[in-house]
Amino acid sequence: MSNNAIEVNQLHKEFTTRVGFWSGRRKTTVAVEDISFNVHQGELFGLLGPNGAGKTTTTKVLSTLLLPTRGSVRVLGMDVVTETRTVRKRIGFTFGGARGLYGRLSGHDNLRYFAELYGLEPALARKRIAEMLEVVDLTERRNDRVENYSSGMVQRLHLARALLHDPELIYLDEPTVGIDPVGARELRQTIKNLIALKKTILLTTHYMAEAEELCDRIAIINHGRIIALDTPASLKRQVSGDTIFEIEIDAALLDELQRQLQLINHRLTIQVSEAYPNKKVNVRTDQPEAVLKYLTLFISSGHVHGLEVRNHSLEDVYVSIIQGKQE
Amino acid sequence: MIGRMLRLFWRQMNVQLQIRTFNLYTLLLLFVQPFVFSAVGMVLSQVAGNQKPDLVYTVIGGGILGMWSGLVFSSTFDIGRDRRDGTLEFIIGSPTPYSVVEAVRTLTNVLTGLVSLLAAFLVAVLVFDYTLDQVQVLPALVSLLLIVAGMWAIGVFLANFLVWSRLSGSIVEFFEFPVAVVCGFMYPIRILPEWMQAISAVFPIRWALEGLQAALYGVSDMNFYAGRWGMALALGLLFWLTAHWMERKVHDLIRVSGEMSSI
Amino acid sequence: MIRWLTRYVRLYFIQAWFAYRSLFSWSTPFNYFVSKFGFSFFALIYFVFIGQFVGLSDPLYIVLGNILMIPATNGVSGISLTVGNERQFGALSYLLGSPAPRAPLFLGRGFFHILDNFITVSVALPVAILLFHYDASQANFPLVMLCVLITSFTTSGMGFIMGSISLVNRDGWMITSTLSLALYILVGVNFPVTALPGWLQSVSYSLPMTRGILAARMALVGSGWDSIASLILGEVLIGMLYIAVGYGMFLVLERRSLVNGSLDSL
Repeated sequence: MSNNAIEVNQLHKEFTTRVGFWSGRRKTTVAVEDISFNVHQGELFGLLGPNGAGKTTTTKVLSTLLLPTRGSVRVLGMDVVTETRTVRKRIGFTFGGARGLYGRLSGHDNLRYFAELYGLEPALARKRIAEMLEVVDLTERRNDRVENYSSGMVQRLHLARALLHDPELIYLDEPTVGIDPVGARELRQTIKNLIALKKTILLTTHYMAEAEELCDRIAIINHGRIIALDTPASLKRQVSGDTIFEIEIDAALLDELQRQLQLINHRLTIQVSEAYPNKKVNVRTDQPEAVLKYLTLFISSGHVHGLEVRNHSLEDVYVSIIQGKQE
Repeated sequence: MIGRMLRLFWRQMNVQLQIRTFNLYTLLLLFVQPFVFSAVGMVLSQVAGNQKPDLVYTVIGGGILGMWSGLVFSSTFDIGRDRRDGTLEFIIGSPTPYSVVEAVRTLTNVLTGLVSLLAAFLVAVLVFDYTLDQVQVLPALVSLLLIVAGMWAIGVFLANFLVWSRLSGSIVEFFEFPVAVVCGFMYPIRILPEWMQAISAVFPIRWALEGLQAALYGVSDMNFYAGRWGMALALGLLFWLTAHWMERKVHDLIRVSGEMSSI
Repeated sequence: MIRWLTRYVRLYFIQAWFAYRSLFSWSTPFNYFVSKFGFSFFALIYFVFIGQFVGLSDPLYIVLGNILMIPATNGVSGISLTVGNERQFGALSYLLGSPAPRAPLFLGRGFFHILDNFITVSVALPVAILLFHYDASQANFPLVMLCVLITSFTTSGMGFIMGSISLVNRDGWMITSTLSLALYILVGVNFPVTALPGWLQSVSYSLPMTRGILAARMALVGSGWDSIASLILGEVLIGMLYIAVGYGMFLVLERRSLVNGSLDSL
């Protein structure tokens, strides 16, 4: 077997739906369009993209819940179409949101049921359930009905369910969606611990900071196509090595500032947004020293209310790539 | 392997009983519907000038109807709920074949339905003085077993439509009453037009039910039973095999359409 | 005043149309007809065969009764499902949080069901008369249709009550739809209400439909307005009472949801 836990080759997935009550006309929607990527063993791979980009469809094909229209997908060396059951034994998956558990059963009973579906022997099931409840910090609430859990607790229980049978490969589809910051941080720590246990993880998320913090490599997907794939650091370099200045000034001085900045003219991009009653000016430059020199003079005038200097974040890269503004 | 199957059976039944069976609705379904139909039968019988209703058809037949409706309703509701709550994807995505989960679930629903039959039977005995002297016990028990098996086979067959799509699932609800009409739950098959009798011949429960009704009336002709049981068994097997064949097809179809997560 | 009224009426019809459409939006013509007629039609046949088995020679009483029952089976379940669905799909908070007046919002859910059921019975009744060779020469059809229209309207009240119950209890819709089967015994569908024990007859006359079905049967054998006027008036009054109770329950539930915020929990 190669070093790849996941090998996706020219994966294409379309859905056909009926349109209208009488006509029975059919409409085909392309969810994923000929994408290819590999995920290495032990890697935490991120799949990023806007809503409807094809992330969940890709994850579902990888977890054997959808059949590809064409293309091949191999997971842990097995074909997801022909070796479905074996694949299922060795993967774990969660989908974001509160659905997917029995609300009328306790957290513990939900896990017992899924332990059975994954064929765990009773003694092992008991041990794993206790461990997983501990991992996701639900031991105390294990006997409460899931319908009384908060969204964060439901997400954590999902994670426990996905990890019960100790899978080698885990798909986490937006695991922190709807969770408060503290809960999300805890969940991210749990995910890091999984990597320490040499698990391979495919993470889909909207949250760039989360992807930046966790992922070894990232694929950005939009309209069903992968439009960028690299490590977070390389992605940031790909877009540009620019420095960003965010300046909040009196609205009256905006024109003056813009004029002066354009005089510096070192491949400089200016974006203006509202920060009522002031204006926020976003300046991107590869000559930060020159801009800083000018701004120092400007600051002394007393009309600057805020200044932030930073390098590109993954979010800037993402927005830039998605909006097709890559330079 | 057997140990695992038994454990899965026990766990699935347990889940089913907790989330599904022990609630007011299921109890209502098991008692109210048969009661309504039996009551209509009894009043109609009285309006027609009979002193006493026919206990086997009108009263106990209502119990059989309760079993059948309970099965159709529960299966429809269970799979609909799994689809809506998102559990369907996680169950199908597990290494245990969905057909096994559904088989156990359907059996739980059929066995729960026996409560309805038992209640009708008790009403016949306690309220209407139905005597058990003439009952052919062994043929009655074998026939009942075959009714359970037949309903189970049809149940797993219908479950495929429910899993397939919400649209195809609505056909299952449509199936409930036509089957009740042609299988003669509350009247003998012989009063139906011949074309309806021909339709009813494909359902295993019709044959097993004829066996049960004859046993309750005290028929002792074993040849009569053998023919009915043979048909019930063969047709039950046919339904089960068809269900099994469909399961594979449906498993592929839903993975093409992505229907298992649509609500 | 005029603006307020226009808004009220517009909201009523918009509500009516979307509620009706959302119930059948995923459907096909086949499924739509199956869900509308499936149960009613086969229940009718089932009762006819039960009647035949117990020795009733003429199935017409059962046939007509079951056709007149269609508004109840479709209307009650349709309306209560439309109301109850808000809970299932978590839309209730948004609905209750909107500044829209409550009456058209709630009552609008019934309009297309009432219309739909009226048309259904208007088609099914002549078909049954032709199929069963019923001598309808004496029948007063305008009056029959009036009775059908009125029962379609009065049964909506029951749907509203059941819908409100299903907003409180997640199994409410199933519970009420099962209980509504009792109408097959109580409102004179398969046999005259007089065949029931006295105390049950009082229950029958406190329900919508009992008088409406009786009036329709009388109009079918030629009775005029004078003979059925009191029945129709009684039916309308009972129907309005049920609608008022259903609406009142909805308002109470709304109040309750503000206190404990529990309505959207599943």
